[in-house]
Amino acid sequence: MKRASLLLRKDLRVLVRSPVLLGVLIAYPLLVAGLVGLVAGYGSAKPRVALVDEDHLPQVVVVGGHPFRIQDAIAEVGKNVHLLPMQPGSARRALSTGRVVATLTVPPGFLADLTSGVHSPSLQYQTTHGGISSRVTQQVQALVYNLNRRLQKALVQTDLGYVQLIVNGGRAKFGGRTYDVLGLERMQLLLRELPPSPQRARMAEFARIAGVALAQTGNLLGSTASPIGLQRAHEDSRSSLLSAQVQAYALALTVTFLALLLAAGAIASERDENTIGRLRRGLLSMGELVSAKVALAAVVALALGLAIAVVFGVIVQAGGVAGGEPWQRLPLLALGLVLAGAALGALGALLGALSREARTASLVAVLVVMPIVFLGLVPREVVPVAGWLSDGLPFAHAVRYFAASLYDASPWATVARELAWLLGLGLLFGALARVATRRLSS
Amino acid sequence: MTDALLRARNVARRFGSQVALEPTEIDVRAGETLALIGPNGAGKSTLLSILAGALEPSAGRLERLDGVRVGWVPQRSSFYDRLTARENLELFARLEGEGDPAETAERLLARFDVPADRPAQTFSVGNRQRLNVALALVGKPRVLLLDEPTAALDPGQRRRLWETVTALRDEGGAVVFATQNLEELDLYADRVAILQHGTVTFVGPTAEYDELHAEEVFS
Repeated sequence: MKRASLLLRKDLRVLVRSPVLLGVLIAYPLLVAGLVGLVAGYGSAKPRVALVDEDHLPQVVVVGGHPFRIQDAIAEVGKNVHLLPMQPGSARRALSTGRVVATLTVPPGFLADLTSGVHSPSLQYQTTHGGISSRVTQQVQALVYNLNRRLQKALVQTDLGYVQLIVNGGRAKFGGRTYDVLGLERMQLLLRELPPSPQRARMAEFARIAGVALAQTGNLLGSTASPIGLQRAHEDSRSSLLSAQVQAYALALTVTFLALLLAAGAIASERDENTIGRLRRGLLSMGELVSAKVALAAVVALALGLAIAVVFGVIVQAGGVAGGEPWQRLPLLALGLVLAGAALGALGALLGALSREARTASLVAVLVVMPIVFLGLVPREVVPVAGWLSDGLPFAHAVRYFAASLYDASPWATVARELAWLLGLGLLFGALARVATRRLSS
Repeated sequence: MTDALLRARNVARRFGSQVALEPTEIDVRAGETLALIGPNGAGKSTLLSILAGALEPSAGRLERLDGVRVGWVPQRSSFYDRLTARENLELFARLEGEGDPAETAERLLARFDVPADRPAQTFSVGNRQRLNVALALVGKPRVLLLDEPTAALDPGQRRRLWETVTALRDEGGAVVFATQNLEELDLYADRVAILQHGTVTFVGPTAEYDELHAEEVFS
């Protein structure tokens, strides 16, 4: 392997003498990682939803005798969607052209049903298929849920008013007429004025028990409206930007890009510079040639990966960010960087040997990097096939290894499994690259 | 193998469906200079690459006398452009197992007057060819294979190259060179091999080779 190490030193020297190339190779994957982060952030951005008010809702609606600002309520609970008031025709066109991802319609008669309390009114919701429609549906469901909660509060207040009226008595309006309601307490007072009798005693006992029971109704009604509440506690952990997952993706993406391109370009350039024939004359076996390129990828992956991890650790320390220990796991991370770099370098060497010339090899490597990365980003639960394909490539294993080695409390099972995967894939791609190098000298 | 330092036994080479070299028998003997001539695409470079060990034959085998080192000057330069001439020479000296790579590089740099510490990618065509030839002499080869070595050299460098080649032959080594320059045959070749369409059609002393035959070869 001494001869392979001579070639490795040569490749490192050549790399150092190409600062622009080195800069692009480092900056490009970090840029892509940032863009992937932005695209992921788009997942939580507000989708545009058309709001069609066919019932001409007023600013204030009286529900159960309580004023209710329904437009304000929609605006407030619609924080997760961007509601755009539209006419029915405009909304249809906007939905068909994709300017909005859904329409929410307040149909005629909605307000009448709501205020009468006879029927439960419905909002009409329409969305497209696929894409983010399921997420928009969830957000519209959340909007309706929040509206219902607000209305429930108003209706519960109204119901409680009636209960108080039955208990305490007083004046009340029903159907436009005013009534004087006796109430259970006043009923008990009237009963005391009557001559004692078993009937009077029974009626007084009923009024007492009914008063006690109705006194509990307020709490029960509140609980019925919201059996389970949700309180948001103060967050004292890392932001998503500084999460272990983002760091693992950034590392894996950088290593994937660098290792593939470097190994592919380096092995193909041996043919471009016509040195492959000179080396083949007993100076270096093709196995040693592949080993040198794999080692190049591993060394660069280690150096750059550790640099990124150190920068990340400094940011975490300097920012006083809670959660995780950025330094203790660096040796474990280094092992993963070497193996991930080697496995991806072996794949790059295979691409380089098949491509035969450096420019083609670089182009092929760039074209191959993106599907590898995006396959690894697709959740296995969403597209199982993507998960299976990703298992045959080093990127997803590198991501899992980095995430586990950096932050899992007990990472050893994951680390061992992913190391075995990376080692196996590296040996497989290395063997294939060794076979493919026969093409280089022809 | 009597006095043959290298022997090609029925070596042939195909590139896909294309035949570059038909089965060929040829000996490279100690103390001789063998010229390979033939039109472009006749198979001269393929045969030299096989003799150098840079290209595997599709059929047949190459025999090499034990301990014999082979130097090779391919038609297209064969070194690392981003390294300097000195670094290229030292790297290949180490790969050849030379005891003192720095001394080897210094000696060859002086002998071929190559700019030592500039990246090879900045070299002129002539300097590239000089470095190409210098690299072939790393490891003190006993057999030197040259593929149109003088095409890019000025007269002074040509003379210096042939002095080196002649000295190596006189010390019991062997030289095989491919050329399109027929004057070089009379001056430097002891034997001539003619290649046409991948087939060796003539092998014999230069004296037996005449101008008319050459006209046929290149017409």
